[in-house]
Amino acid sequence: MSSPFSINGGACVAMVGKDCVAIACDLRLGLQALTVSNNFPKVFQYGDNVFLGLTGLATDVSTVSDLFRYKVNMYRLREERHIAPRTFANLVSSSLYERRFGPYFVSPVVAGLDPTTGAPFICGFDSIGCIDFAKDFIVSGTATEQLFGMCESLWEPDLGPDALFETISQSLLNAVDRDALSGWGAHVYIIEKDKVTKRLLKGRQD
Amino acid sequence: MPGFDFSNYNRNAALHARGVPLPKATSTGTTIVGCIYEGGVVIAADTRATSGPIVADKNCEKLHYIASNIWCAGAGTAADTEFTTALISSQLELHALSTGRKARVVTCMTMLKQHLFRYQGHIGAYLVVAGVDPTGTHLFTVHAHGSTDKLPYVTMGSGSLAAMSVFETQWKASLTRDEAVKLCADAIEAGIWNDLGSGSNVDVAVITADKTTLMRNYIKPNERTQKLRSYAFPKGTTAVLNEKIIRKADLGNFVSVHELTEENDDKMEVDT
Amino acid sequence: MEVLLGITGKDFTLIAASKAAMRGATILKVSDDKTRQLNKHTLMAFSGEAGDTVQFAEYIQANAQLYSMRNETDLSPSALANFVRGELASSLRSRKPYNVNLLLGGVDPITHKPSLYWLDYLASLAPVPYAAHGYAQYYCLSLLDKHHQPDISLERGMELLRLCADELKRRLPIDFKGLIVKVVTKDGIEVKPFDEDAVVRGT
Repeated sequence: MSSPFSINGGACVAMVGKDCVAIACDLRLGLQALTVSNNFPKVFQYGDNVFLGLTGLATDVSTVSDLFRYKVNMYRLREERHIAPRTFANLVSSSLYERRFGPYFVSPVVAGLDPTTGAPFICGFDSIGCIDFAKDFIVSGTATEQLFGMCESLWEPDLGPDALFETISQSLLNAVDRDALSGWGAHVYIIEKDKVTKRLLKGRQD
Repeated sequence: MPGFDFSNYNRNAALHARGVPLPKATSTGTTIVGCIYEGGVVIAADTRATSGPIVADKNCEKLHYIASNIWCAGAGTAADTEFTTALISSQLELHALSTGRKARVVTCMTMLKQHLFRYQGHIGAYLVVAGVDPTGTHLFTVHAHGSTDKLPYVTMGSGSLAAMSVFETQWKASLTRDEAVKLCADAIEAGIWNDLGSGSNVDVAVITADKTTLMRNYIKPNERTQKLRSYAFPKGTTAVLNEKIIRKADLGNFVSVHELTEENDDKMEVDT
Repeated sequence: MEVLLGITGKDFTLIAASKAAMRGATILKVSDDKTRQLNKHTLMAFSGEAGDTVQFAEYIQANAQLYSMRNETDLSPSALANFVRGELASSLRSRKPYNVNLLLGGVDPITHKPSLYWLDYLASLAPVPYAAHGYAQYYCLSLLDKHHQPDISLERGMELLRLCADELKRRLPIDFKGLIVKVVTKDGIEVKPFDEDAVVRGT
C-alpha cells in the first residue's frame, strides 16, 4: 500500500493578492489509479472570509472538515462573533498537534482576510500542525512539487482579483496536468473585502 | 501538561504494519548556534524549513520566545520545537508569577529536559536555550531524549558541524557583543552555504541583563532578484464553467449583521 | 468477486448486488441479498469481509429505523450517508475496524431528488451519479462513463444495468450468480425482475 497522502490524490493552493486572497483545489477522488468521483471539493468555508483547504486521505479530509465545522460553530456560539483566519489557523494547529502521535493524514491550507484590517492571510500546515506562514503562496497535495514550480515562477506581488484568479488557476491547472492523481476540474475562490467569487474551472478529464 | 490524543494511533499503527510509511513532518534541518560573551549571550538560526528534499518555508522563525530574558533556538521536528517551547514558556510564566521571582534559565532548561525525557525522544525537539537571569548568563543545549549540556558556545542541527568549525577556529574567551554577534552570524552562514538542510537568512537574538534584542533577518544573503518580466495572464485565459458571486451585502437577505458602535470604552478585546 | 452497482436517473436510484455468497472458492448460496432497506426511501448495498458486512449493515438499519420511530420522520439519504460515514470513520479508529464497502442509494422524501453515495472501508464518502465496488469498478465505470446521462428513464437505467451485467458475466472469471436489482423511487423500494439465465456470448 502506498502512502496515505497519495491513495486518494488531490491538490490545493492558496495565494495572496492586493487586498484579496485566493484558494483553489482540484475535484478528483480516486483509489490509487482508479478515479471514483470527479466532484470531491477540498476547500471548505468557515465564515464570511475564512477558508480551509484539505488534501490527503479522503476519509480524514471529511472527518477533519466536519470536526472544524463543529469547532467553529461552537466558537461562534460561545464568542458571538465569527472566527478570524489567524485564530482559525491556531485552532487548526493545536487540534492537529493534539494528535501528534496518531495524526490525521491531511495537509491543511488556510486562506482569508483579517476581519478588522482586511489584510490578506494565508498559511499552511504539516499533518502534525506546524504552521508555515507565507507571504506569497501555500501549496499542498500530491501535486505539491509541480505547484511549487508553477507558483514560484507565476506569482508576483500585488495582483488584483482578476489577475490573481488567472494566476492561481493557471498554476493549479498546469500543475495537476503533470500529476496523475490530481485534476478532473477545479474550484477557485477569490476572496475580497465585500464579496467572494467561486468559480468552477474546466479541466482535463484524463 | 499536554493531553495528547492517541485515538488515531491504533489505526495508523495497523496501516503502518501493512506497509504504509509514516507521514513526513516539516523539519527544521537546521543550523542553530549560541555563544556567551562578556555581559550577555547571543543565539542565532537560519530560516529554512524542509519537508524531505522540498524547501517548505524559505523564511521561517526558529528563535522562540520563552520569557523576556530567555529565548530558545529550535531544530528537529518543527511542530515539536514550536509547541514544546510554547508549553514551557506558559508554564514558566505561571511559575514566575507563583514564586514572584524572575524565571531562571536553569529552571527553563530543567522543565524542557524533564518534558522531553518523559517522551523518550518521540518529541523531536533539539533546542539551544539562552538567557540572562539574576544568577548570571547561561547557555544550554537540550536534546530530544532529555540530555543537556552547558557550554560557552554551542551549535545544533544538521548544520552544526559547519557552524562548529567556525567557532572552533574563531572563538576566543572574552568576546565583545559585536564580536559575538559576528561570530554567531558567521557560524550560521557556514551552515547556510555548506549544509543543504539550512539556508536563506540569519536571525540573531542578543540577550543582556536589561533587554533582549531580536534581529529578524539580520543578514539576508539570498534575496530573490526582481523578476525581469511579468508572467501575468491576460484576463479570460482560464475557461470558467460556472461562476457564483457571494456579496457581503447580499448576506443581509439571510442573516442580519449589526456592526458594533465604538462608543463604550470597555470594548471587548478582540484579536487583531 | 462481489459486485455492487448503483445508477441514478431522472427520478430513481437503481441498486444491484451479486447473488452469490462466497467463502474462499466455494459458493455457499445463490440467492444472497447484499442490501438492507434503511427507511422507505433509502437502500444500502454492502460488500467486504464476511461477518462484518451484515453486522454493520443491520446496525445501521436498526439505528435508521430507531430514528424514524422516535422522530416520526425519515432521515434523508444524505443525512444517512453522513451518519454511516461517521460510524465507519469511528470504527476505523477502533481496535478491530469494520471492513465494509457500501453503496447508499435513495430518493429524497421531500424534494424527490434521487441520490447515490459511494463509501469505502476507509470511510471515504463521495456523492456520485453512478458507482460500483470491487472488480465491477474496472468493468462498469467505463461503460457508465460513456452511456450514462443524469436524466435517464428507469427503462434506460435497466438497459444500462443489463449492459454492465453482461460485461461482468463476460469478463469476471468467477460466476457471481446474477444480480438482485432494486429500485428506489418516491413511492418506495421494489425488487425489479432481472433475468440472470440469459447466455452472454463471449467476444
